[in-house]
Amino acid sequence: MDTAALNDALAGLRPVLFKLARLQLRNDTWAEDVVSETLIAALEAAPTFAGQSQLKTWVVGILKHKIIDCFRKAGREVSTDAMVEAAEVEAFDELFAPDGHRTAVPLEWGDPEETFKRTQFFEILQMCVDKLPPALGRIFMMREWLEYETTEICKEMGITATNAFVMLHRARLRLRECLEINWFAGAPRT
Amino acid sequence: MNGNWKITCREAHVLLSERLDRELGFAETLRLRAHLLICAVCTKVGKQMDFMRQAIRQLDR
Repeated sequence: MDTAALNDALAGLRPVLFKLARLQLRNDTWAEDVVSETLIAALEAAPTFAGQSQLKTWVVGILKHKIIDCFRKAGREVSTDAMVEAAEVEAFDELFAPDGHRTAVPLEWGDPEETFKRTQFFEILQMCVDKLPPALGRIFMMREWLEYETTEICKEMGITATNAFVMLHRARLRLRECLEINWFAGAPRT
Repeated sequence: MNGNWKITCREAHVLLSERLDRELGFAETLRLRAHLLICAVCTKVGKQMDFMRQAIRQLDR
């Protein structure tokens, strides 16, 4: 791929990179900076590619590293609200009756592969992740998207393992509810 | 968690989430498995948590 084509391809990736960075960083300025650094790094590396999908995977890889660097720099600021949220622990009480059973029955979601064929699903998924409270969303994406180990999350965020487990659980419950309401409840779709 | 092998749905939900973040202990694993055998709801929720993990990993594709 020549430089001009690479420039065009990278420019085309900017929106999706920004969306991913924003999901993780919850801050537009940081997201912009990280995306710019990513695109500069990609241009400087000037690789040759067989096709578009390889480029996207590679550039997203750079983006992930830049996001991790951003976390390291922002370390202190981010942990305070994480600790505050971690202190409110019992938020999923309303899901369960006194005898410990669930009050609302979950829907059947079906085959993941079928769902993943629909691009609209991923838009809904992004919306649901975006709706997570900032500290929950950040930790959730560190675990699920950046694939940090729990111990690494605890170190970066200055929280205990128990805090991390509770926050991840709450994030998963909220995400589950959001997806169920906004996607699975409306099935079948065309 | 009490001393016998039975756990509630609430406890099962916690284990279903934590198994995605750490290795469950032997007793925890047995208790969870025993509960899932008799609880379709928690079994479903466990599958949904796996579903969400797969989905997030596909976000950048």
